[in-house]
Amino acid sequence: MRPFALSYARPAVKPEATTPYTYDATRQLNVLPDGSPATSSRLVLLATSATASTAGSKTHFDD
Amino acid sequence: MTVLVLTCEEDLTADMVVANLHDLGVPLVRLDPADLPGRIDLSAEYVGKGFHGYLKTDERMVSLSGLRSVWVRRPGAPGSRAAEQSTWLTEESEQALYGMLTATRARWMNHPAAAVQARYKPWQLHTAQQSGFAVPATLITSFPAVARQFAAAYQDLVVKSVSGKHPGDPPMVLPTTRIGLDADFTAVAAGPTLLQQHIRKQADIRLTCVDGRLFAARKEADPEEVDGRFTQNGSWKPAEVPDLVRRSVAAYMSAAQLAYGAFDFAEDGSGTWWFLECNQGGQFGFIQLDTDQPITQAIATWLAAAPLA
Repeated sequence: MRPFALSYARPAVKPEATTPYTYDATRQLNVLPDGSPATSSRLVLLATSATASTAGSKTHFDD
Repeated sequence: MTVLVLTCEEDLTADMVVANLHDLGVPLVRLDPADLPGRIDLSAEYVGKGFHGYLKTDERMVSLSGLRSVWVRRPGAPGSRAAEQSTWLTEESEQALYGMLTATRARWMNHPAAAVQARYKPWQLHTAQQSGFAVPATLITSFPAVARQFAAAYQDLVVKSVSGKHPGDPPMVLPTTRIGLDADFTAVAAGPTLLQQHIRKQADIRLTCVDGRLFAARKEADPEEVDGRFTQNGSWKPAEVPDLVRRSVAAYMSAAQLAYGAFDFAEDGSGTWWFLECNQGGQFGFIQLDTDQPITQAIATWLAAAPLA
């Protein structure tokens, strides 16, 4: 028998793969193609939803 | 002295704090425990009456005695990127890494032992009650008959996961969901189920606590909306913290031994903030983006302070 709560689960929406930044091990943070920190771009932060309340839901359960 | 940041590389929220630490001129080492063994090496010797050791990642090395603080953000499981992964290797790596780190004088945000306890939702609910928060009537049970009685008493209920985790295979999400009056509770016997009185809310509240500094944000909600994480409407705005809530947060954080906590409340039509949960590792970047509240600066300042004497 399927647990009660799971009858209310729904398929996860796969986020669009838009990560226009790469990790810079020297600076220890992610950078854009022009070398500026990814966090300097509000648009990047919003577009990637990387800081959203559900950003960690896939691998962590701390929303 | 050095700040140790435990998180994955793609964690942009951690970047926000790392940038602040750079601005403060504070040395830091960022690593993901998933890379142990592999890109991370460690060593500690226990000889005589003390111990000394170090961590190495890429080109950086830090002495365990040189750590001022440890920030546990979004670390991967130790050993999970090893060439030959195993449960045993993960346990060995976790014991070695966290075992030696917890023996240092470093301050923790948050200490692993406190974090484990704080993740238990039943513990959260009880601690919230003891701290003076308004807590919705809640039932966790595997007895279908008890679930039916609870539903009869409170009528309007939501169901949510006990652990906060979403089902994994295949990838699913389990938002907090309102259940109908005609729900069949037979399947409650198949697993512990959390049912809670539905609070008709006029707003969601996210209150971020950084070592006693409170940053509250409010987002207006449709009273029919249940789980604001899965809706895109509205934006967060700074909010004043009622004195009663302020005192309860202080009591909760003290009981939980947490340096950081992200509280979720539902604000009802009378303005009461109903405690839903306190997430010891909750996200904060989205709040700062909307409100410009200096949460990252508060975290960086806390991490940059001196270690325990």
